[in-house]
Amino acid sequence: MFGTIIKDIAVLAGISGILAILLVIAERFLNDYGDCRININGKRDITIKGGNNLLASLGEKEIFLPSACGGRGSCGTCKCKITEGGGPLLPTEKPFLSKAELEDSIRLACQVKVKTDVFIQIPESIFNIRKYTSTITEIIDYTYDIKGITFKLEDGEEIDFKAGQYVQLISEPYAKMKQRVSRAYSISSKPEDRNSIQLIIRLVPEGICTTWVHNYLKVGDRVNFTGPYGDFYLRDTNADIIFVAGGSGKAPIKSILEHLAVVGIERKMTYFFGARTLKDLYLTDEMKAFEKIFPDFRYEPVLSQPESGDGWQGKTGYVMPYFKDAIRDPKNTEAYLCGSPGMINAVCNALTDLGVAKEKIYYDSFG
Amino acid sequence: MKPTSKELTATQRMQPGVITLSGFLGSDTRALNEIIADDAAMLERLGHDPEELADRMEYFTRTSWSSYLDEELIEGKYKAQTDVYRGKLPCPYGHAGLYRKAITRLTNMQNGISVVWTSLNIHLIKAHCFFEGRGSAFRIEPETLVKALFE
Ligand SMILES: Cc1cc2nc3c(=O)[nH]c(=O)nc-3n(C[C@H](O)[C@H](O)[C@H](O)COP(=O)(O)OP(=O)(O)OC[C@H]3O[C@@H](n4cnc5c(N)ncnc54)[C@H](O)[C@@H]3O)c2cc1C
Ligand code: FES
Ligand SMILES: [Zn+2]
Repeated sequence: MFGTIIKDIAVLAGISGILAILLVIAERFLNDYGDCRININGKRDITIKGGNNLLASLGEKEIFLPSACGGRGSCGTCKCKITEGGGPLLPTEKPFLSKAELEDSIRLACQVKVKTDVFIQIPESIFNIRKYTSTITEIIDYTYDIKGITFKLEDGEEIDFKAGQYVQLISEPYAKMKQRVSRAYSISSKPEDRNSIQLIIRLVPEGICTTWVHNYLKVGDRVNFTGPYGDFYLRDTNADIIFVAGGSGKAPIKSILEHLAVVGIERKMTYFFGARTLKDLYLTDEMKAFEKIFPDFRYEPVLSQPESGDGWQGKTGYVMPYFKDAIRDPKNTEAYLCGSPGMINAVCNALTDLGVAKEKIYYDSFG
Repeated sequence: MKPTSKELTATQRMQPGVITLSGFLGSDTRALNEIIADDAAMLERLGHDPEELADRMEYFTRTSWSSYLDEELIEGKYKAQTDVYRGKLPCPYGHAGLYRKAITRLTNMQNGISVVWTSLNIHLIKAHCFFEGRGSAFRIEPETLVKALFE
C-alpha cells in the first residue's frame, strides 16, 4: 500500500515536472514577440523588442510620455492615441477614459503591451521631452516648509521649455525607500536660463519625494528629471492679466514673470498671492521688484489669518474682494491661477461673477 | 484565518516605500485580515458601520476642502481644515482610481477630540474597513474616530 502511494507521488511529481518545463518553454516562445515597429504620427518608425508596455518601450527610445505613477496604471496621465495594434481595451484602462476618448482610440500607454506593430499619435511637443541629469547648485529655505532648489544641467545640456511648464523629478532610493518615484514640479525659473532650472518644493507630510528633497538632498548631489510637460503658459494676447497663486503655486507664475521681464510686456497685470499667515509668504521682495520692471504691474499678497504679532499692514481676508479694483474690462481680462482646488474654485466663481469669460481662466489646479 | 491572495498582494503594497513612505501597517504584527477583523468588531460594539463613518468623514473633507484656505466651522461645534497637496495616490488593494493627497484635520470642540485623515483613509475605511496598522502615521483608532465624528 505504502509502496503504491510512493509510486503515485513519484509519477505525479514526474508529470508536474515535465509540465512545468513545457510551460517555461512555451512561455519563452509565446512571449517572444520579436522586434516590433512603433509608427509615430505616420512619420517616424522606431523598432523595439516586443513584450514590454508602450510607455516603457517609448521610454527606451528616449520618448517620454507624461506619467505620474511610474507606469502602474493609477494616474491616467500616459494617455495616447493608438490607431492600430493596441489590442483590446483592458479593464485597468477603462476608468480613466471618457466616452469621447474611447471613441477617439485613446489608451493608457503603460497598460498596452506591444506585441505587434503599433501605430500611435502623440503631440509633437512630446519629442521635446528628454531625460536630464543635473547637479544641485543651490537650496534656499523660502519658508518653514518650502524650499527653492536649483538644478544645473550637465555641461553642454540645454532645456527648452515654455514658462509655466513642469518637469518630473526622479527621486533616488533613500532610507527605507528602495525604489525611485517620479513627481511633477513646475519650473520656477525663466526659460532663458537654458542650462539650469529652479523648482519650488513644499514638504508634504509623509511624502516620499518631498521628504527626500527636504531631508536628504544637498548641494552637489546629482539628480535626474524628465520634461518639459504641460500646457499652463501665458497666452499671447493683449488682454489684462490677473494671476492668483497660493503655496508652491508661486512657481509657474514666477517663471512667467521672469520670462516677461526678459521679453518685455505692456499688458496690465495684477498678481494676488493668497496665504494664511506672514510665515507662509515668500519671495515678496522679488515679486514686488517686478513693479519697477513692468509698466503696469502690482503684486498683492493677501493674508487670511494674520497673527496679532505679525505686524501685517497689507491686505487681509480672501483675494476675491480685491479683484473688482484690478479689473478694468472683464471682457478683456485673462486669469492664470495656480493653487489648491478650494482657492481655484472660489477664485473662478468670483471672476466669472465679475464677467470674466470661463474660457479665459487658465488654471493649474492642485487637484 | 488564512490570508487570501488578494490580501497578500495588498499587504505587499502596504509595505514602506511601495505606495507611501512609511506604508500602512506601522509596527503592527497582526496580519492584515486580523487588523481589519479586530477593528470591525470594535466598530460593531460601538454601534457603527464603516460606510457611515466614511460618509461623515467625506462630508467634513468636502465641506472644508471647498473653502478658500482656512478652517471651517461646521455644525457649530466642529473645526475642520483640509490641506490639499497636488497629486494623487492609488489604493493598495489595486482599485482603479486615485485619491487626493489631501489631509483633513477635524476637532470636535465639544469633547476636544481631534483626528487627522487623508482622502485615501476615507476610501480604505469605506471599501475595506481598514483603519491602518498600529503605529502607522495615518492609523485612526475607530473609537476615537467615532467620538470625534458623532459625539
Ligand atoms: C502638474 C503638477 C505640478 C506640480 N508642481 C508642484 C510644485 O511646483 N511644487 C510642489 O511642491 N508640488 C508640486 N506638485 C505636487 C508633486 O508632484 C507631488 O505630488 C507632491 O510634492 C507630493 O509628493 P510626495 O512624493 O512627497 O508625496 P507622496 O508620498 O506621493 O504622498 C504623500 C501623501 O500621501 C498620503 N499618505 C501617505 N501615507 C499615508 C497613509 N499611511 N495612509 C493614508 N494616506 C497616506 C498623505 O496625504 C500624504 O501627505 C505638482 C503636481 C502636479 C500634478
Ligand atoms: S503612467 Fe500612470 S496610468 Fe499610465
Ligand atoms: Zn480600495
